[in-house]
Amino acid sequence: MKYILMMSGKKSDFEGYATWSKEDLRANVAFMRAFSKELKDSGVFVSTEGLGWPSEARLVRAGANGEPVTDGVFPESKEFLAGYWIIDVDSPEQAYKIAARASQAPSPGGKPANMPIEVRPVLSGHADLGI
Amino acid sequence: MKYILLMSGTKAGVETYHAWSKQDMEAHMAVLHRINKELTASGEFVTTQGLTEPREATVVRGEKNGVPVTDGIFPESKEFLLGYWIVDVATPERAYVIAGQISAAPGPGGVPTNMPIEVRRFATYEPKPK
Repeated sequence: MKYILMMSGKKSDFEGYATWSKEDLRANVAFMRAFSKELKDSGVFVSTEGLGWPSEARLVRAGANGEPVTDGVFPESKEFLAGYWIIDVDSPEQAYKIAARASQAPSPGGKPANMPIEVRPVLSGHADLGI
Repeated sequence: MKYILLMSGTKAGVETYHAWSKQDMEAHMAVLHRINKELTASGEFVTTQGLTEPREATVVRGEKNGVPVTDGIFPESKEFLLGYWIVDVATPERAYVIAGQISAAPGPGGVPTNMPIEVRRFATYEPKPK
Protein backbone atom coordinates (compact mmCIF):
# COMPACT_ATOMS: atom_id res chain seq x y z
CA MET A 1 0.00 0.00 0.00
CA LYS A 2 1.31 3.39 -0.94
CA TYR A 3 1.14 6.26 1.53
CA ILE A 4 2.07 9.90 1.22
CA LEU A 5 3.64 11.66 4.22
CA MET A 6 3.14 15.41 3.99
CA MET A 7 4.98 18.12 5.83
CA SER A 8 3.21 21.49 5.79
CA GLY A 9 3.48 24.85 7.46
CA LYS A 10 2.23 28.41 7.50
CA LYS A 11 4.20 31.22 5.91
CA SER A 12 5.35 32.23 9.41
CA ASP A 13 6.69 28.70 10.02
CA PHE A 14 8.75 28.94 6.85
CA GLU A 15 10.04 32.34 7.96
CA GLY A 16 11.05 30.83 11.30
CA TYR A 17 13.00 28.16 9.46
CA ALA A 18 14.89 30.90 7.60
CA THR A 19 16.28 32.19 10.93
CA TRP A 20 17.88 28.84 11.89
CA SER A 21 21.66 28.85 12.23
CA LYS A 22 23.68 27.22 9.49
CA GLU A 23 24.65 24.49 11.90
CA ASP A 24 21.03 23.72 12.82
CA LEU A 25 20.04 23.67 9.13
CA ARG A 26 22.92 21.36 8.33
CA ALA A 27 21.88 18.95 11.09
CA ASN A 28 18.30 18.97 9.76
CA VAL A 29 19.38 18.34 6.16
CA ALA A 30 21.76 15.57 7.30
CA PHE A 31 18.85 13.94 9.11
CA MET A 32 16.64 14.17 6.01
CA ARG A 33 19.36 12.63 3.83
CA ALA A 34 19.91 9.77 6.29
CA PHE A 35 16.13 9.29 6.55
CA SER A 36 15.75 8.98 2.75
CA LYS A 37 18.64 6.53 2.67
CA GLU A 38 17.02 4.44 5.42
CA LEU A 39 13.78 4.33 3.42
CA LYS A 40 15.67 3.29 0.30
CA ASP A 41 17.70 0.64 2.13
CA SER A 42 14.55 -0.86 3.65
CA GLY A 43 12.85 -1.00 0.23
CA VAL A 44 9.86 1.23 1.07
CA PHE A 45 11.00 4.39 -0.72
CA VAL A 46 8.98 5.57 -3.73
CA SER A 47 9.78 9.28 -4.02
CA THR A 48 10.39 12.49 -2.11
CA GLU A 49 10.26 16.13 -3.12
CA GLY A 50 10.74 19.49 -1.47
CA LEU A 51 8.71 22.47 -2.68
CA GLY A 52 9.75 26.07 -3.28
CA TRP A 53 8.78 28.71 -0.75
CA PRO A 54 5.20 29.91 -0.22
CA SER A 55 6.17 33.36 -1.54
CA GLU A 56 6.35 31.70 -4.98
CA ALA A 57 2.98 29.96 -4.65
CA ARG A 58 0.18 30.98 -7.02
CA LEU A 59 -3.45 29.96 -7.17
CA VAL A 60 -4.73 29.45 -10.69
CA ARG A 61 -8.35 29.39 -11.80
CA ALA A 62 -9.67 29.17 -15.34
CA GLY A 63 -11.00 32.46 -16.72
CA ALA A 64 -14.06 32.82 -18.94
CA ASN A 65 -12.12 31.69 -22.03
CA GLY A 66 -10.10 29.05 -20.23
CA GLU A 67 -7.16 31.42 -19.75
CA PRO A 68 -5.29 31.12 -16.44
CA VAL A 69 -6.19 33.72 -13.80
CA THR A 70 -3.44 33.79 -11.16
CA ASP A 71 -3.58 35.00 -7.60
CA GLY A 72 -0.79 35.10 -5.03
CA VAL A 73 -2.75 36.21 -1.99
CA PHE A 74 -3.43 33.58 0.65
CA PRO A 75 -5.01 33.74 4.11
CA GLU A 76 -2.46 33.85 6.96
CA SER A 77 -3.78 30.53 8.23
CA LYS A 78 -3.06 28.78 4.91
CA GLU A 79 -1.00 25.63 5.33
CA PHE A 80 1.54 25.30 2.54
CA LEU A 81 2.95 21.94 1.56
CA ALA A 82 6.69 22.03 2.29
CA GLY A 83 7.56 18.57 1.03
CA TYR A 84 6.48 14.96 0.97
CA TRP A 85 7.58 11.35 0.90
CA ILE A 86 5.75 8.52 -0.83
CA ILE A 87 6.39 5.10 0.66
CA ASP A 88 5.17 1.61 -0.15
CA VAL A 89 4.50 -0.29 3.08
CA ASP A 90 2.48 -3.27 4.31
CA SER A 91 0.31 -1.49 6.89
CA PRO A 92 -0.82 1.97 7.99
CA GLU A 93 1.01 1.34 11.28
CA GLN A 94 4.29 1.08 9.43
CA ALA A 95 3.47 4.37 7.66
CA TYR A 96 2.76 6.04 11.04
CA LYS A 97 6.04 4.76 12.43
CA ILE A 98 7.96 6.22 9.52
CA ALA A 99 6.03 9.49 9.84
CA ALA A 100 6.99 9.65 13.52
CA ARG A 101 10.63 9.38 12.49
CA ALA A 102 10.21 12.27 10.04
CA SER A 103 8.39 14.26 12.71
CA GLN A 104 11.43 14.02 14.96
CA ALA A 105 13.84 15.68 12.55
CA PRO A 106 16.08 17.96 14.60
CA SER A 107 15.18 21.63 15.12
CA PRO A 108 17.42 24.37 16.60
CA GLY A 109 19.69 23.03 19.33
CA GLY A 110 19.10 19.46 18.11
CA LYS A 111 15.67 19.19 19.76
CA PRO A 112 13.17 17.01 17.81
CA ALA A 113 10.89 19.36 15.85
CA ASN A 114 7.87 17.10 16.50
CA MET A 115 6.25 18.65 13.47
CA PRO A 116 2.92 17.23 12.36
CA ILE A 117 3.15 14.84 9.41
CA GLU A 118 -0.10 14.09 7.60
CA VAL A 119 -0.39 10.49 6.41
CA ARG A 120 -2.79 9.47 3.61
CA PRO A 121 -3.06 6.42 1.39
CA VAL A 122 -2.70 7.37 -2.27
CA LEU A 123 -5.14 6.08 -4.86
CA SER A 124 -3.90 3.07 -6.76
CA GLY A 125 -6.33 3.74 -9.60
CA HIS A 126 -9.69 5.14 -10.50
CA ALA A 127 -11.32 2.00 -9.12
CA ASP A 128 -10.78 3.61 -5.72
CA LEU A 129 -13.08 6.45 -6.79
CA GLY A 130 -15.85 4.03 -7.66
CA ILE A 131 -15.85 4.95 -11.36
CA MET B 1 11.76 23.58 -14.24
CA LYS B 2 9.55 21.23 -12.34
CA TYR B 3 6.28 22.49 -10.93
CA ILE B 4 3.66 20.75 -8.84
CA LEU B 5 -0.02 21.59 -9.40
CA LEU B 6 -1.94 20.90 -6.23
CA MET B 7 -5.68 20.34 -6.04
CA SER B 8 -7.07 20.69 -2.52
CA GLY B 9 -10.41 20.89 -0.80
CA THR B 10 -12.15 20.85 2.56
CA LYS B 11 -13.95 17.73 3.81
CA ALA B 12 -17.30 19.39 2.99
CA GLY B 13 -16.05 20.26 -0.48
CA VAL B 14 -14.97 16.68 -1.12
CA GLU B 15 -18.37 15.37 0.01
CA THR B 16 -20.10 17.34 -2.75
CA TYR B 17 -18.35 15.04 -5.29
CA HIS B 18 -20.42 12.14 -4.05
CA ALA B 19 -23.51 13.95 -5.33
CA TRP B 20 -22.17 14.14 -8.91
CA SER B 21 -23.91 11.88 -11.42
CA LYS B 22 -21.89 9.12 -13.01
CA GLN B 23 -22.11 10.96 -16.32
CA ASP B 24 -20.71 14.19 -14.83
CA MET B 25 -17.91 12.26 -13.14
CA GLU B 26 -17.03 10.51 -16.39
CA ALA B 27 -17.02 13.78 -18.35
CA HIS B 28 -14.72 15.31 -15.71
CA MET B 29 -12.32 12.36 -15.75
CA ALA B 30 -12.29 12.30 -19.56
CA VAL B 31 -10.96 15.88 -19.58
CA LEU B 32 -8.32 15.08 -16.98
CA HIS B 33 -7.24 12.04 -19.01
CA ARG B 34 -7.04 14.20 -22.14
CA ILE B 35 -4.85 16.74 -20.31
CA ASN B 36 -2.52 13.93 -19.14
CA LYS B 37 -2.30 12.66 -22.71
CA GLU B 38 -1.50 16.11 -24.07
CA LEU B 39 1.18 16.67 -21.42
CA THR B 40 2.70 13.28 -22.22
CA ALA B 41 2.74 14.11 -25.94
CA SER B 42 4.42 17.49 -25.29
CA GLY B 43 7.02 15.85 -23.04
CA GLU B 44 5.97 17.93 -20.00
CA PHE B 45 4.31 15.16 -18.02
CA VAL B 46 6.22 13.87 -15.00
CA THR B 47 3.59 12.20 -12.84
CA THR B 48 0.13 12.56 -11.37
CA GLN B 49 -1.32 11.08 -8.22
CA GLY B 50 -4.70 11.11 -6.51
CA LEU B 51 -5.04 10.78 -2.76
CA THR B 52 -7.71 8.90 -0.82
CA GLU B 53 -10.48 10.81 0.95
CA PRO B 54 -9.77 13.13 3.90
CA ARG B 55 -11.46 10.71 6.33
CA GLU B 56 -8.45 8.41 5.82
CA ALA B 57 -6.04 11.17 6.88
CA THR B 58 -4.01 10.83 10.08
CA VAL B 59 -1.57 13.27 11.62
CA VAL B 60 1.54 11.92 13.30
CA ARG B 61 3.58 13.96 15.79
CA GLY B 62 6.69 12.28 17.15
CA GLU B 63 6.42 9.19 19.31
CA LYS B 64 5.90 8.15 22.89
CA ASN B 65 7.62 5.02 24.21
CA GLY B 66 8.46 4.08 20.64
CA VAL B 67 4.84 4.37 19.48
CA PRO B 68 3.83 7.07 16.96
CA VAL B 69 1.44 9.67 18.35
CA THR B 70 -1.48 9.76 15.89
CA ASP B 71 -4.51 12.01 15.62
CA GLY B 72 -7.37 12.02 13.12
CA ILE B 73 -9.15 15.22 14.13
CA PHE B 74 -8.78 18.22 11.85
CA PRO B 75 -10.33 21.69 11.87
CA GLU B 76 -13.32 22.04 9.51
CA SER B 77 -11.39 24.63 7.50
CA LYS B 78 -8.50 22.23 6.84
CA GLU B 79 -7.63 22.01 3.16
CA PHE B 80 -6.80 18.43 2.23
CA LEU B 81 -4.65 17.62 -0.76
CA LEU B 82 -6.83 15.67 -3.21
CA GLY B 83 -4.29 15.08 -5.91
CA TYR B 84 -1.45 16.58 -7.88
CA TRP B 85 0.29 16.77 -11.21
CA ILE B 86 4.02 17.26 -11.63
CA VAL B 87 5.04 18.93 -14.88
CA ASP B 88 8.41 19.85 -16.33
CA VAL B 89 7.94 23.14 -18.17
CA ALA B 90 10.02 25.98 -19.57
CA THR B 91 8.32 28.82 -17.70
CA PRO B 92 6.00 29.40 -14.74
CA GLU B 93 3.49 30.88 -17.21
CA ARG B 94 3.25 27.52 -18.96
CA ALA B 95 2.57 25.87 -15.57
CA TYR B 96 -0.24 28.40 -15.01
CA VAL B 97 -1.77 27.58 -18.42
CA ILE B 98 -1.86 23.87 -17.55
CA ALA B 99 -3.32 24.65 -14.12
CA GLY B 100 -5.98 26.76 -15.86
CA GLN B 101 -6.93 23.79 -18.07
CA ILE B 102 -7.29 21.57 -15.02
CA SER B 103 -9.34 24.26 -13.28
CA ALA B 104 -11.62 24.44 -16.33
CA ALA B 105 -12.44 20.69 -16.23
CA PRO B 106 -16.21 20.25 -16.24
CA GLY B 107 -18.30 19.80 -13.10
CA PRO B 108 -22.00 18.91 -12.85
CA GLY B 109 -23.92 19.82 -16.00
CA GLY B 110 -20.65 20.47 -17.84
CA VAL B 111 -20.02 23.77 -16.04
CA PRO B 112 -16.27 24.28 -15.38
CA THR B 113 -15.47 23.63 -11.72
CA ASN B 114 -13.09 26.62 -11.64
CA MET B 115 -11.37 24.87 -8.79
CA PRO B 116 -8.32 26.75 -7.53
CA ILE B 117 -5.09 24.93 -8.39
CA GLU B 118 -2.02 25.86 -6.37
CA VAL B 119 1.16 26.03 -8.44
CA ARG B 120 4.52 25.57 -6.74
CA ARG B 121 8.03 25.19 -8.01
CA PHE B 122 10.10 22.27 -6.77
CA ALA B 123 13.07 23.15 -4.62
CA THR B 124 16.16 21.88 -6.37
CA TYR B 125 19.23 21.00 -4.42
CA GLU B 126 22.70 20.49 -5.80
CA PRO B 127 23.31 16.76 -5.68
CA LYS B 128 26.01 15.98 -3.14
CA PRO B 129 29.09 14.30 -4.64
CA LYS B 130 29.24 10.66 -3.52
